[in-house]
Amino acid sequence: MIVLIAVALLAQTPVVAPVEPGVPPGASEAARPEAPPPVLPPATHELFRKIQGRVAQVRIIERRSGTKSSIGSAFFVSAQGHAITNYHVVSDLVLHPEDYTAELERGAGTVLVRLLDVDVVHDLALIQTDVPAPDFFPLDDHEPAQGTRLFAMGNPRDLGTTIVEGTYNGLVQDALYERIHFTGAINPGMSGGPTLTGEGRVVGINVSTLGNQVGFLVPVAHARALLARVLQAPRKQVDESLLPSVHQQLLENQQRLTERLLASPLPQQPLDDYRVPGRWSSFLKCWGDTAHEPDTPYTVTNYQCSSEEDIYLSSNHSTGVVSYLHQHVSSRELGALRFASLYSSLYSQDPDSVPATREDVTNFRCQSEFVDVGGLPVRASMCLRAYRRFPGLYDLVLRAATLNASTSGVDSSLTLAGFSADNARKLARRYLEGLSWTK
Amino acid sequence: MDEVIFLEVLEGDGVQARHRLERFPVSVGRGYDNDIILDDPKVSASHLRVERREDGALVVRDLGSQNGTFRVDPWAPLAEVVLTPDARVALGDTVLRFRPRSHKVEDTVIARMAESPRERLFEQPRAFTATLLVLVFACLVSGYVTNYQRTDWGDLLTSGLIPLGVALLWAGGWSLASRISRRSFQFRTHATLGGLMLLGVTLVPAATATLGFSLSWHWGLGFLTKVAYLGLLVWGLFWHLRYVTRWEPVRLLRVLVVGSGVFLLLTYIPTLLANEEFSPELDFSRSMLPPSFRVARTQSLDAFFQDSAQLQKDVDSLAKEE
Repeated sequence: MIVLIAVALLAQTPVVAPVEPGVPPGASEAARPEAPPPVLPPATHELFRKIQGRVAQVRIIERRSGTKSSIGSAFFVSAQGHAITNYHVVSDLVLHPEDYTAELERGAGTVLVRLLDVDVVHDLALIQTDVPAPDFFPLDDHEPAQGTRLFAMGNPRDLGTTIVEGTYNGLVQDALYERIHFTGAINPGMSGGPTLTGEGRVVGINVSTLGNQVGFLVPVAHARALLARVLQAPRKQVDESLLPSVHQQLLENQQRLTERLLASPLPQQPLDDYRVPGRWSSFLKCWGDTAHEPDTPYTVTNYQCSSEEDIYLSSNHSTGVVSYLHQHVSSRELGALRFASLYSSLYSQDPDSVPATREDVTNFRCQSEFVDVGGLPVRASMCLRAYRRFPGLYDLVLRAATLNASTSGVDSSLTLAGFSADNARKLARRYLEGLSWTK
Repeated sequence: MDEVIFLEVLEGDGVQARHRLERFPVSVGRGYDNDIILDDPKVSASHLRVERREDGALVVRDLGSQNGTFRVDPWAPLAEVVLTPDARVALGDTVLRFRPRSHKVEDTVIARMAESPRERLFEQPRAFTATLLVLVFACLVSGYVTNYQRTDWGDLLTSGLIPLGVALLWAGGWSLASRISRRSFQFRTHATLGGLMLLGVTLVPAATATLGFSLSWHWGLGFLTKVAYLGLLVWGLFWHLRYVTRWEPVRLLRVLVVGSGVFLLLTYIPTLLANEEFSPELDFSRSMLPPSFRVARTQSLDAFFQDSAQLQKDVDSLAKEE
């Protein structure tokens, strides 16, 4: 699972960031003379001393306790004090503006911060301080070559501004939400900090890590778009809630996702005598396996696809998920009744639910029927829950089990998080129609 | 009043002692020189006398007692009172009632237990054997069918024998109660009843699973299951108690039905009134049976997705509730 790298201080344990002692700071310069760039960049330590003031620490302050509840990083992008950080750093401010404020620590002292707008799909937020920032990063489009040395800046685990070296590995292939793959240690607290080339140009914004030097950045183009949007149409009221804006972004995103899925035909994956929905779109990653246990009188073959990405709304609410799982089960030894109890137990196991709390969603309501899918009898159950903060968005879980044979079958689950009811229904229907039997 | 009357010493509604009075006067008091001796510390040694007046009427006369004598209905202190049928007189903490020989008693209560001497089905020795065999067989079958791993014959045998042991233990408890209250163990009958109840407990889940799957029936299935278990319990307790108490069957049934009804209400009302707890669980019937058990027809995809409009309405109203 991808770990978002904002730090909740209450849960913080001192973890030493992996440091590679073998690489002295000068090593990169030592390698340079072999292939001299057209313009020789200044030594990196000089560069970073120069631009250190452009990066600051964001502190989310809980009003009642008056202390920071979590931290992240941010960097200035305009002389008027605009700064970019991650949505997940400031999500408390969006969802509970009455309980939280934010401030920026710039070495010299802290200044209060206003939240201007967010791009929840790409996990970005634009904040502004009243104090102008003379020194800032211009956000020009810049795509380095693969393998380019990059430097991620931020404040990992509240240890002070840190520079982490790594390499650019291009956009993550087939990602649902565009990300740059950065090979380097991004640690909690560095969220929202910039990742720069050796010349000091922003490539992306630190957002998450899979651990073991696998880090992810949001491409700088999305930050530029967010800044442009706010500069073009500044919000009239400062205190205005950002929820309608988030709502609109989620609606647009699910619409885009639905159109993308419905535009492509659903390929069918053979699973023994059955055909099941296969890799529907390039953003889905699919895996399969069969449990090889010698002592069980049946075999279960799994096939699952998932976007493996979601949209962060709060620390316990995610959305924008598409995932499904097929379990083909068959047995030569079990009779029809014993197979049925095996099938019941499979049908009783639901896929992991998308995290959400009482504040975010309602309970599920389900319907269960026998459905005819192109001649194949299927026991189908559909469950729906509504988002409380964002009316018109739902989580859907579809469970289906084929009922054409007495000792084999496919049990299938589809999870759609954060779709409009109509879109969820359309997708679920297309999905069900992807089930068939070939004999 | 009659020539002969009865003096009854009352205790609550019941009669504690009854004396036949033939010759008068009769003296009543705590002293041993009385005809009728009352062990009531508030009664005087020589308290009252029942005597026949010259005109033939029977009277009660207080003999100057310490605490006095009272007519009960209406309450009044008395020195002398003419006895009428059912007259009651209080002295100290004691109440006396006087009744003539002509007092009408109520009709005889018809004993239903006594008039059905024929043997009930589950009293027969054959029923005992058959029930326990069927119970063991049903448990073995259900143990075999619900296990989809490789069959462990030892476990399977245990799953058949445990219910048998439970039925016999249960019967042992009841037959002790029968022995104490009705002087006969009735072990076989109790064991048959216990076996039948356990058989029911084994069959109810199978029945609800069949109902839920075959007919695709979901509405109130949980409640139905609960009612079925409770009905089984009421039936079993009714017959067990018939061999333990001497209560009228109608009364017994009424007590059990009212008791279980109250139990059902008490367990359901709180869940009806309580707020629904937040849960990410999906709530629908999971039972699966072989495809040939399906009776309900399949729906078209159109109908299935049309039905989901109701779901949407339901969760929308949940979202508005807060």
